[in-house]
Amino acid sequence: MNSVSIRIAGANGDGVESSGSLMIRVAAKNGLHVFGYRGYQSIIRGGHVWYQVRIADERLNSHGEGIDILIALNQDAIKNQKSHLNDKAVVIFDPSKVKPEGIDASKYRLVGVPLLDIAIEVSGDPIMRNVVAIGSALKFVGIDLNAFNEVIKATFGRKGDKVVQSNIKAAEKGYNYNGVETVYKIKSDGKERYTMDGNTALSIGAYAAGCKFYSAYPMTPASSILHWFAAHENKGVMPKQTEDEIAAINMAIGASAAGVRSMCGTSGGGFSLMVEALGLAGILETPLVVVESQRTGPSTGLPTKTEQADLLFVMHASQGEFPRIVVAPRSTEESFDIAAEAFNLADRYQCPVIILMDLYLSEHVRSMERLNVEGVTIDRGKVVTEQKEEGRFKRYLITDDGVSPRAFPGTKGLEFIAPSDEHNEYGDLVSDAFAGLDESVEVRIQMNAKRMRKIDTMLERESVFVPHVDIEGEQYLVTFGSTTQPAIEAVELLKAKGHNFGLISFNYLMPLDAEKTAKILQGKKLINVEGNSTGQLAKVIRMATGINIERSILKSDGEAFTGELIANEAMRLIK
Amino acid sequence: MSDSNQTAVTKAKQNFASGIKPIWCPGCGDFGVHAGIVKALQEIGVEKEKVAIVSGIGCSSSMPHPFSTYGVHSLHGRLLPVASGMKLANDDLTVIGTGGDGDGYGIGVGHLIHTARRNIDITYIVMNNEIYGLTTGQTSPTSLMGAKTKSTPFGSIENPENPVGIAISAGATYVARAFSGDPMHMATLIKNGILHKGFSIIDVFSPCVTFNNLNTYDWFRSRVYKLDQAGHDPSDKAKAMEKSFEAEANNWEKIPIGLFYKEEKPTYSSMDMTLQKGALINQPMPTKQQLGEIMEEYK
Ligand SMILES: Cc1ncc(C[n+]2csc(CCOP(=O)(O)OP(=O)(O)O)c2C)c(N)n1
Ligand code: SF4
Ligand SMILES: [Mg+2]
Repeated sequence: MNSVSIRIAGANGDGVESSGSLMIRVAAKNGLHVFGYRGYQSIIRGGHVWYQVRIADERLNSHGEGIDILIALNQDAIKNQKSHLNDKAVVIFDPSKVKPEGIDASKYRLVGVPLLDIAIEVSGDPIMRNVVAIGSALKFVGIDLNAFNEVIKATFGRKGDKVVQSNIKAAEKGYNYNGVETVYKIKSDGKERYTMDGNTALSIGAYAAGCKFYSAYPMTPASSILHWFAAHENKGVMPKQTEDEIAAINMAIGASAAGVRSMCGTSGGGFSLMVEALGLAGILETPLVVVESQRTGPSTGLPTKTEQADLLFVMHASQGEFPRIVVAPRSTEESFDIAAEAFNLADRYQCPVIILMDLYLSEHVRSMERLNVEGVTIDRGKVVTEQKEEGRFKRYLITDDGVSPRAFPGTKGLEFIAPSDEHNEYGDLVSDAFAGLDESVEVRIQMNAKRMRKIDTMLERESVFVPHVDIEGEQYLVTFGSTTQPAIEAVELLKAKGHNFGLISFNYLMPLDAEKTAKILQGKKLINVEGNSTGQLAKVIRMATGINIERSILKSDGEAFTGELIANEAMRLIK
Repeated sequence: MSDSNQTAVTKAKQNFASGIKPIWCPGCGDFGVHAGIVKALQEIGVEKEKVAIVSGIGCSSSMPHPFSTYGVHSLHGRLLPVASGMKLANDDLTVIGTGGDGDGYGIGVGHLIHTARRNIDITYIVMNNEIYGLTTGQTSPTSLMGAKTKSTPFGSIENPENPVGIAISAGATYVARAFSGDPMHMATLIKNGILHKGFSIIDVFSPCVTFNNLNTYDWFRSRVYKLDQAGHDPSDKAKAMEKSFEAEANNWEKIPIGLFYKEEKPTYSSMDMTLQKGALINQPMPTKQQLGEIMEEYK
């Protein structure tokens, strides 16, 4: 694989994010593979932000460690990014604004371009300096300007020809500036690709599955799901920003109880507030999809940084015992697949499904093939529309598979009250007035067993609750969720260096088919790779199978894993 | 079957009765509220499968169980978001919220403000006994200054909340107060609240005969007077607000009940882009074309 990483860095408000997105779309349009990730802080102006755009001739699985081309928009960019420069990296900067201090001109290629002057000259708008720099960067990676021009036309066409032309002119000037030449040529296969982040893919999956109600209280990195539903409100969905996360989950439960496929989403802090209602969905047996996109914790932690430290929390949140499904998508595309399937599982087993994302997966953008949006199938589970038996409807009928018939309000003859308290088959309480009476004890035992039986049914009927052996090897990296992608790259790097590593990854984590999981892991040399400091996946594996993984690669500094980083750590461990 | 039998069957159907007996102590004010809701529903003539009664947790929150309608008995303080979700999902339902003062004015008061300002078309009935009944008698947000309860044995030193004033200022478009000891008056206020398009709240003085020996039936009966008989104009928001402070200002000597405020305003669903096309539950699945268009956004 040939890859090159371009990083544009500056302050909040400098247009770093839009520049990164623009480069990603240009590369994808030009038949290249792209992977983009941005570093930012929780302030609106100032600070130091960067966007790394990695381009390659094969599918990428990580944004990469080092920088090949740095666009330094201010002095901070030089100061903060110089240690990340790869050998012979190109540094593009505006000499009137930025001094390449501490960067050895004999080791790196310093390219001063009067970005601001050119921007003013072609458009009178200083923000156009980014476009000039992008023009230069595109020349360095050998992408011609046709793709750029097309993306600009598609993006700014509505704003009029003048905006389009000044963008095109600014890029041309940067492209053709003295000393700017092609040094990294990445081969294009001419295939136009789609680009999006994990939250977008997840939202599209939910939409395709018929999710019509999404409630949330804004919280990074989940907010963009709310924005997605809001932007698509004209396509038959209802986004609902609520007063807090407690309202968000309870509203979603209400909407789902009324028969509409519903989802709510948040990060760890908001999920903490949702915990009580998660159990409500559990005992009401109301299908519900909850997205938890992790950021670095505890408490408010690092709001704009990533982590995988909420696994045990989401598995065990809320009092008492009830069935739930926990699933951590391993890639952007899988965020789509899993979101779509989550609604089927929630409906089939009438329980909450928690989709565990993280900031890295929610936000990094990748190029991809078209998602199979038309291929999504819908299974609403045991929904009944008429009363077959005499007497009141038994919403909580004791069944062998643990799943009871469900009716939507409005259906004649199937009226019932869904209660948070323990109840009998009709939904009548066995709590306040009757708790402890012999009959009630029996009802409690039966009803609890009925609910918990759904776990056996899931394991019996669904094949997903096992880890995947993605790549065979003599020893294995073991991952869950988003870390799987950089781990794929790590395995490739390790194999290239003669270390025969393989990869085992988890997406569905709860329930876990303990027997099959044990069979897969037994006798293998394993290293768990996780974005937390205590090895939560290893604990889950040990709880389920008794298998103790003794070596681990853990990271909780807020930054995302890269393939190189994992590979280097793995080599250190086997030394 | 004779004619009179036929009528009996029809009558029984209109009882809205599931056959489940309420769990309240004999004499509890909540019995009257139950009867009031039944009467209101009967008079409106709505079909039971079109009704959803949503409650929180508390003695009063066991309200849905005697009903043969749909319903959710949810979490302490969370009935309004659950009820909102149901109404937003299926606008054809008549959604009624029933809970206590602790539930709605204590732990859940944030939702009251936001549900009111959204003007979601649900009717919220709060059985205000000025005490926590189910947890055996602690102070509540509406307990009076000086009230002696299990958690304030030397008398409460917190000001009681003004739920009527909160509801009006938050944007509720139908705000009333009733007394369970005056069932006819209460039933009419509930009925009109259900018929009102928008967020209606009826704060009902519903005595707890077991744990509140201050705010008894007699205590209320000797103090309440009816706003409509006192010439109050419920379309005057400023006056309504003033009235909401009256009882506390005169040291609870005279307590106004009746309709404080009513306003015709667009409901949430009448303004919502999606709901204007019909109830959410009836919206079609995304078409292949819509899905395709969405994918093209990311090319
Ligand atoms: C989160 C939570 N906290 C506390 C409780 C315990 N609890 C149950 S009912 C109640 C108060 C009931 O008072 P109110 O809402 O006024 O209803 P009432 O019983 O007086 O009708 C409390 C505190 C609970 N169920 N959930
Ligand atoms: S404790 Fe009070 S509120 Fe509860 S049922 Fe008895 S009288 Fe009613
Ligand atoms: Mg009370």
